[in-house]
Amino acid sequence: MRAGLKLLLEKQPGFKVVSEASDGHQAIESALSSKPDVVVLDIAMPKLTGIEAAQRISSQLPQTAIIILSMHSDEGYVLRALKAGARGYLLKDSAESDLIEAIRVVSEGKAFFSPEISKVLAEDYVREVNIRGVEDSYDLLTLREKEVLQLLVEGRSNKDIASMLNLSLYTVETHRRNLQAKLNLHSFPELILYAVRKGIIS
Amino acid sequence: MDARPPLSERRAETSMVFNRRFDRLILSTRVAVIAGFGGLLAIITLAGIDSIRVMQQIRRNDDQIRQEFLSRNHLLNNIRSDLYLSGTYVRDYLLDPESERAESYRATLEQVRTEMDSALESYGSRLDASENQNYTALKIELSRYWGILEPVLQLNAQERQRTGYVFLRDEVFPRRMTMLEIANRIADLNEQQLNAANERDAALLTSFQNRLAVTLLITVLLGISMAAFSTRRILKLEARAHIQYQAVSEARRQLENLSARLVQAQETERRSLARELHDEVGQALSAVLVELRNLSSGLAVQSEEQLSRHVETIKGLVENTVRTVRNMSLLLRPSMLDDLGLIPALRWQAREVSRQTCMDVTVSTDLASDDLPDEYKTCIYRVVQEALHNCSRHSHATAVRINVRQEPNQLTLSIRDNGKGFDVKQSKGLGLLGIEERVAHLDGTCTIHSEAGSGTVIAIDLPFTQQSVKNGERNSHFVSG
Repeated sequence: MRAGLKLLLEKQPGFKVVSEASDGHQAIESALSSKPDVVVLDIAMPKLTGIEAAQRISSQLPQTAIIILSMHSDEGYVLRALKAGARGYLLKDSAESDLIEAIRVVSEGKAFFSPEISKVLAEDYVREVNIRGVEDSYDLLTLREKEVLQLLVEGRSNKDIASMLNLSLYTVETHRRNLQAKLNLHSFPELILYAVRKGIIS
Repeated sequence: MDARPPLSERRAETSMVFNRRFDRLILSTRVAVIAGFGGLLAIITLAGIDSIRVMQQIRRNDDQIRQEFLSRNHLLNNIRSDLYLSGTYVRDYLLDPESERAESYRATLEQVRTEMDSALESYGSRLDASENQNYTALKIELSRYWGILEPVLQLNAQERQRTGYVFLRDEVFPRRMTMLEIANRIADLNEQQLNAANERDAALLTSFQNRLAVTLLITVLLGISMAAFSTRRILKLEARAHIQYQAVSEARRQLENLSARLVQAQETERRSLARELHDEVGQALSAVLVELRNLSSGLAVQSEEQLSRHVETIKGLVENTVRTVRNMSLLLRPSMLDDLGLIPALRWQAREVSRQTCMDVTVSTDLASDDLPDEYKTCIYRVVQEALHNCSRHSHATAVRINVRQEPNQLTLSIRDNGKGFDVKQSKGLGLLGIEERVAHLDGTCTIHSEAGSGTVIAIDLPFTQQSVKNGERNSHFVSG
């Protein structure tokens, strides 16, 4: 699989594969030495799982975007990957067709998920809302908060958002706190996951 | 809601309660039997001791009375005979012309008097109140008698011959008669006393007889009640033993049944796995192989378009196979139980079931971390899996709430549905039995509350042991979600 993906990436103009690794420890070592823009990690690696490797790499290299390759479409894995610092989550089934786009998107600072994941998460969300008949918490957000949420999950920093929306940094932070409270989400990864489920990003 | 614990717990609980009751019954029976028979023995012993005592008393009394009577009678007879003798000696003394012989009679008379006085004194010492009057009268009469005789004994021969006979006729004989009468009266009294003493003895005997009769009655009654009590207890114990025996054989029957069904279930599972492997995976891979052979031999490929169509077919087949294999492996052992921990795995399961059925399954928990021992995770996961399977198949529930709580000493799991419920006593499938066995294996308790029409709650408590906590620490390699 690695060889196939490498071939794919090498053919792509503007892309360069700087190093390869065959287990979790090697992955961390080579990432730390070559400091790439994007790291693509298989979730199931020998010795150290992709999740753990992602955690180490993201804590050492915050500028490096991480994409997790996985065969699990469940949101438990997606959330775990996001919490470990990954910005992209690709299903192995469709990795070949989506990898290029995923690398482009995450290197811009945004999140990327396999279309199938987005679809499954969004479906789950809709079904849960329908079955339980609860009010969609998204409707509780003000227009401004929705805007802030949209920009946040697209990978913008609070400062960027403040200048884009012509607001003070303090106001943006307040909006962010409020919308997190309304949605009952306590971390950025949960926010991203929510956005995917809600279809705000795909 | 009718609270009915699950079979294994009910079995354990029932048998525990049963054993406790049984022990208590045996203990109380023992105490009662010991007390009853002890009391009975004590009563009989006391009655025996009492009879011996009373008998001895009566015999002693009897002896005493007879002794008394005989000795007094003897004294009285002595007095009487002395009285006669005194009369005879007085007559001989008065009528004998010879002075020497008369003197010897007088001496004999004096001797008789002394004897009589001592007999009288001796009688007086054992005098009864009723005889007092007669005795005094006798004594007075006697002293008078001797008083009258006193001057006569000083007479010389001529005077004796002159007044002797008259004196005898007028004084001695009448007085002697009076005294004999008194003595007879005393003898009568003596006899009366004997009778009275005999009557007292008889009364003692009668009261003893009454007492003995009462004691006997009590003994018999107590014996009968003891017999009745013992019989009842024995019957009860027999019944209990019978019930317990039935429970034990029922449990064994169930166990045999269960293991047979488990073996069968295992076989069924293997069969379905084998079929799935062969029919789905095997067939798909064969098809891929055929396609690939066609491609490599250059057959069936005339154009670029056809080539890409073949590749698409192969891709579709492989994708299907991958999905099948993944589903199968998830069914066998969900990887997220190991990768992500219990709660994410439960959430995944909930979502999967929600997706496949029309039930809304939610998982709530206060579990701070997922550092649970492997066997606890597996147990809870499988229990939930089985319960959800049951819900989707039988309950017609629209919502299932799963709650996992960690308490200081145990893990509690509850699965609540709003389905149609069932009678726990009547029907229990292999699934529920499996749940109970799994829980029992970890020394946990499993309670199933259900009633037709009001849903079902499965509540499970898994106690932590020192061992399990250690295992949990060792197994906590994954960060919690």
